[in-house]
Amino acid sequence: MSVKRILQYFKPPSGWILSVNFLIALLVGLFVYSLYVSNAVSYLSDEPETCINCHVMRPEFSSWQHSSHKNVAVCNDCHVPQDNVFSKYFFKAKDGLRHATIFTLRTEPQVIKMHEAGIKVVQENCKACHFELNQQVGLLDVNGNNYVHGVGKLCWDCHREVPHGRVKGLSTTPYARVPLLESPVPEWIKDYLKKTTK
Amino acid sequence: MKPWLGWMLFFLTVVAVFFIGLLASNIMERRTEAQFLDRDKIDVQPFEPRNEVWGINHPKQYETYMATSDTNFVSKHNGSKKIDMLARYPSLVVLWAGYAFSKEYNQARGHYYAVKDVTDILRTGAPDENAESPMPATCWTCKSPDVPRLMNNNGVKEFYDGNWAGHGSEVVNPIGCADCHDSESMELKITRPALIEAFNRMGKDINESTHQEMRSLVCAQCHVEYYFNKEKPYKGVPYLTFPWDNGMSVEEIEAYYDAMNFSDWTHGLSKTPMIKAQHPGYELYLTGIHAKRGVACADCHMPYKSEGGVKFTDHKIQSPLNNVSNSCQVCHRQSALELTNNVNDNMDKVISVRSELEHLLVDAHIEAQFAWSKGATEEQMKDALMDIRHAQWRWDFAAASHGGAFHAPIETLRILGTGIAKAQDARLKIGTVLRKLGFDGEVPKPDLSTKELAQSYIGLDMVELNKEKAEFLKNVVPIWLEKANERESQWTQYEMAKAVKY
Repeated sequence: MSVKRILQYFKPPSGWILSVNFLIALLVGLFVYSLYVSNAVSYLSDEPETCINCHVMRPEFSSWQHSSHKNVAVCNDCHVPQDNVFSKYFFKAKDGLRHATIFTLRTEPQVIKMHEAGIKVVQENCKACHFELNQQVGLLDVNGNNYVHGVGKLCWDCHREVPHGRVKGLSTTPYARVPLLESPVPEWIKDYLKKTTK
Repeated sequence: MKPWLGWMLFFLTVVAVFFIGLLASNIMERRTEAQFLDRDKIDVQPFEPRNEVWGINHPKQYETYMATSDTNFVSKHNGSKKIDMLARYPSLVVLWAGYAFSKEYNQARGHYYAVKDVTDILRTGAPDENAESPMPATCWTCKSPDVPRLMNNNGVKEFYDGNWAGHGSEVVNPIGCADCHDSESMELKITRPALIEAFNRMGKDINESTHQEMRSLVCAQCHVEYYFNKEKPYKGVPYLTFPWDNGMSVEEIEAYYDAMNFSDWTHGLSKTPMIKAQHPGYELYLTGIHAKRGVACADCHMPYKSEGGVKFTDHKIQSPLNNVSNSCQVCHRQSALELTNNVNDNMDKVISVRSELEHLLVDAHIEAQFAWSKGATEEQMKDALMDIRHAQWRWDFAAASHGGAFHAPIETLRILGTGIAKAQDARLKIGTVLRKLGFDGEVPKPDLSTKELAQSYIGLDMVELNKEKAEFLKNVVPIWLEKANERESQWTQYEMAKAVKY
């Protein structure tokens, strides 16, 4: 069976084309709408505000915002690989989908901790930026692989406050002033509604 | 096409659309959550003086702030308990003869008591419809978040103008949230014009301060040396002014006052034109090692605190000696006992030198009084009195800074050391005057061993003062509070903890 024949097989009878187009467009539209309300495009960027699309990340955002790293590094600088663009976006997609699933199913833990993959990435990024500073320190053994095998330490085993602090949890920063998500309803509709409801 | 395939496609699409719809509404739901989760419960209005209203949004900060009502902590020399300092150091009565401080002077309590204590103390007198308070309205400036409200409503000059009793019904909320915070952003904020004006005169812009500097500067709005300038910028208005134009050292401020012939009062015994050092806490702190290492007031007096997984600033502003683990021990690894002993050792030494100067000053005042009684002339006494003025200014600068012995022990001892030299100079000069007047004996010294003896020696009628005050507290203050309640009952009411006034 060639591809052409398969397509032929699914093709609706000519009298139905209009209705089927309409119904498929509805399905696609609903899908596009989901992408729109979830700010899906923002995930391609490096903006730290993207990470608080989900409110459970607010404590991480605000503790970073008050840390010394604020001026030099955003979330992605530490939490996604920086070696090449392919591994960066592959990791982003993988990690992002996991996070999205957890958030959607409401299974986020009270205290969010990094998993093995994340630990390895962050550890390499510490070393990448602080390379010069650590020239006199033997860093070969400081890596995620050694850590998961129970040998060696990680940077933040000693630098414990960097950068999110030691007190962590979903309720840790109840007063944090983090940027709120913008309303999905565009301004012009709001303006119009304001005018008409007056 | 087989009919069942059509139906299967149909149902599969229904299921797919259904789940995409569920996903979309899940996203919307969680977006909506974000609008309410951890958001402010109410909009605190600018210049909102009621601390309990701010407390609705920030219960942890508010509860710890309310804990400044705790008066149980007593350190070796200070603490949060109301202690009668005139009884502890009767010499102070003589040093302040002719000045209201000789009537009553206590160890300060927490911010919670700011309004109550200034109202209760004998220094503010017993104003009623027939009598004014001996103090101007300016005295309220550092007592309450009602002050920025009034300054905003009526103007700064208008706030300072008039008698202390004039704002009695207006200033009722003790020092609190709006004194240091912006109501919208919660950022630290300078709310008193005197500090901003002092910075401007020094050619500095306070808006360029870093966050870490602001964590001290909000305190420096009040915990500084100041005076009331009745000439500038408005004639006849006691305008709160910081004397920092030449610099913040004891000599530079002294030169500033000398150049303008300023005196707070004329001493009751020695007739010296005196300067009362207020509380140059910030100025002395700046010369100490902690300030030089970038430690702010809030780092030790309002350290971080963890409570149920939340880390926040402890708003129980107090002596770090009552919270060594969260203040000192964040940087110093020694035991709490050892650290406390270190502080006490410094304080003991500074206070022992301060006592030397204190007793020299008492002698100097009494000897000067004796010289006047023997017929000394102003010309003869002039130099000696200037020495007394400068010596006591130094004593007061060290004593009134309260924490100076800890904040800057070396500078405090230097100040006291130069003060001792000046006090001895004064006594030598008075001795010379006495010999010229033909007196060669020992100047008789009265018994000043208790507060009561000292107060009766300088001629204070304490029974009358206390009686007037009691009547004022009984008859006038309740009317003030009633007026305040009436005013605040017309403001937006929120469901909240019971208000604390006065």
